[in-house]
Amino acid sequence: MTEQEQTTADPTSPARDGVFTTAAGLDIEEYYTPAAIEDLDYDRDLGVPGGYPFTRGPYPGMYRTRVWTRRFQVGFGSPQESNERIKYLAKTGANGFVITIDLPTSYGFDSDDGIADGEVGVTGVAISTLEDMEALYDGFSPDSVSYALSIRPPVSTVTLAMLACVAEKRGVPLDKVIGTQQNDPYYQMSGGPLQTVTQFFPLDATTRLCIDNIEFISTKMPKLNWMVTNGYNLRETGVNAVQDGAFTLGHAFDIFRLCQERGLDVDVFSKRASFFLSCSIDFFEEVAKFRAMRRLYAKTMKERFGAKTDECCRLRFSVQSAGNTLTTQQPQVNVIRTSMEALAAAFGGAQSIHLCSYDEGHGLPTEESSSIALRTQQVLAYETGVTKAVDPLAGSYYVEDLTNRMEAAISAKLAEVDEFGGMGECIKRGWLEGQINEARYHNQEELDSGRRTLVGVNAFTCGPDEDPPIKVHKIQADVWGERRAAYLKEYRAGRDQAAWAEAMGQIERAWKAGENMVPVIMNAVRNKVTMGECHDAMRDAMGWSFKNAARDAAKREGVG
Amino acid sequence: MAKRVLLAKMGLDSHDTGIVTVAHILRNAGYEVIYLGLHNYADEVVNTAIAEDVDAIGVSFLSGQHTTQMRRLLDAMKKSELDLPVLCGGVIPADDAADLKAMGVAEVFSPGTLSAEVVRRVELAVGA
Repeated sequence: MTEQEQTTADPTSPARDGVFTTAAGLDIEEYYTPAAIEDLDYDRDLGVPGGYPFTRGPYPGMYRTRVWTRRFQVGFGSPQESNERIKYLAKTGANGFVITIDLPTSYGFDSDDGIADGEVGVTGVAISTLEDMEALYDGFSPDSVSYALSIRPPVSTVTLAMLACVAEKRGVPLDKVIGTQQNDPYYQMSGGPLQTVTQFFPLDATTRLCIDNIEFISTKMPKLNWMVTNGYNLRETGVNAVQDGAFTLGHAFDIFRLCQERGLDVDVFSKRASFFLSCSIDFFEEVAKFRAMRRLYAKTMKERFGAKTDECCRLRFSVQSAGNTLTTQQPQVNVIRTSMEALAAAFGGAQSIHLCSYDEGHGLPTEESSSIALRTQQVLAYETGVTKAVDPLAGSYYVEDLTNRMEAAISAKLAEVDEFGGMGECIKRGWLEGQINEARYHNQEELDSGRRTLVGVNAFTCGPDEDPPIKVHKIQADVWGERRAAYLKEYRAGRDQAAWAEAMGQIERAWKAGENMVPVIMNAVRNKVTMGECHDAMRDAMGWSFKNAARDAAKREGVG
Repeated sequence: MAKRVLLAKMGLDSHDTGIVTVAHILRNAGYEVIYLGLHNYADEVVNTAIAEDVDAIGVSFLSGQHTTQMRRLLDAMKKSELDLPVLCGGVIPADDAADLKAMGVAEVFSPGTLSAEVVRRVELAVGA
């Protein structure tokens, strides 16, 4: 062992005070015996894959029938540039796309808004107009390519309306359109939940639009995944696997309750519900989490929401490997971390997997690092043979016991959420933020004390000079911003101003009348109302505004 | 008297795990920390720094806006003749970190910096 390998942590002793635990703190015995699963009733607790309560997987046959989708995340600059990239990736074997949206669009601002200065196209693609959405679908038909838009309401109402209009223009019937609209009103943009979900649009209005989307999709676009509950971003804030399971299910259950209050039929609207989950590094805990969440979801759908068909009790999920487990130091080692996370996701029964690129801690992924992430999955799926038997860890004394205990722990946490009146209330009252912040402090203390080993960070470190240099994705925020501003100026100048004003007026009227906003927004984007203008019209209808110094400064300077 | 540090997120980036954790670390180390939250504009950060009479400003980025936003912050400080150490953290490519330092940023912290190291380097920049 070299001197540098021996640092603050003592990685030979992973126990704390002689006690071994999972990352979330569940005790781990030295070994497990049949006594651990004495009470396990196979039919009641596990069942066959594809059968209630779906512990062993949502579909019969699982990866023997169809290997998980290898999703590829794409989105930068303009819709045209992103579309080119999608065309290239489709040729290299990616068969599903997560479209990331830039920050201004994610918050409902046009590329030429003062608030968007320096942010256009940086973290995803900019979408401000119906034309932008059409450009994204260039060469692809909405009934043949599956795009998953990582987006939340109010923006998802506008992108949904745009998608429906693209289908109309191409002559594709709405009930044939495939894809996914992440439509989780509580999904925060990777950070402080309260501020990100309330600063630019009131939360109750966001929730209304979420239900509007569900109502529209479940009746008119039944092949579209109407709501992907986003547990990923929540987990990335630092909460543990138990909190992850509870808060994520809590998001979904809150929305289901609101759907029922709107008079929607649980046996219709829940069919296309799905989840976007994180798979972290504590291997068995993550496998147990996925299995436990599936079982708990099935029971809750049946017993609490009165779902009558098995189809509505089946939790389906896509996975992204946990970005927050990756290190800036010795970045190539991250390939190993994501491989283990992918394996846990496969053993957990994921329907689709996206792996983070190893250079996550340095910048946005390059073509090379994204390609390694895809190849990692292909090795796992096609070389290792782990896909050949369904739920291969079932029956392990340890895994079944851990699955049972995860379910109990998630249930208990969910009961805390219910005491507050659901996740919406937990967010509004700041309780969720408190939980997140405590987890963050805890995680840092675990690293500082060496109780948790992180290779390259608190153990087995090397000097910065020994880290090989890595290429990073170059950002052209200024160029993208200028080009988009010029495009939007032309777009606004070229539209029928009377038709535009009429469509803006319709938004205000429909909002006040409590109508479903999706058809109204469809009419608006057809008449060249932009993303940002749709949002402004809705805010105006509520008499609601927000203060932003960047926007104010841009207005003073006469731009934006 | 305890040194005062102003922390803020700028632009639309909302990844705040790092900065919230650093706020906690610095408070535990005896600093008075004022955290402005998300979505701040350079002028707001500078005005608050003056009003609160702080000893340093810290910002963090995880979405690639560091160079643009830091340039704005440093320009706004110059305009207000505010001369304070500026600390920056987050996912920042090595080349960009060097550029930031050349622009006058006192410290650039990467993810995975342990608390003791954070405190040591803040003390160097700000004084204990």
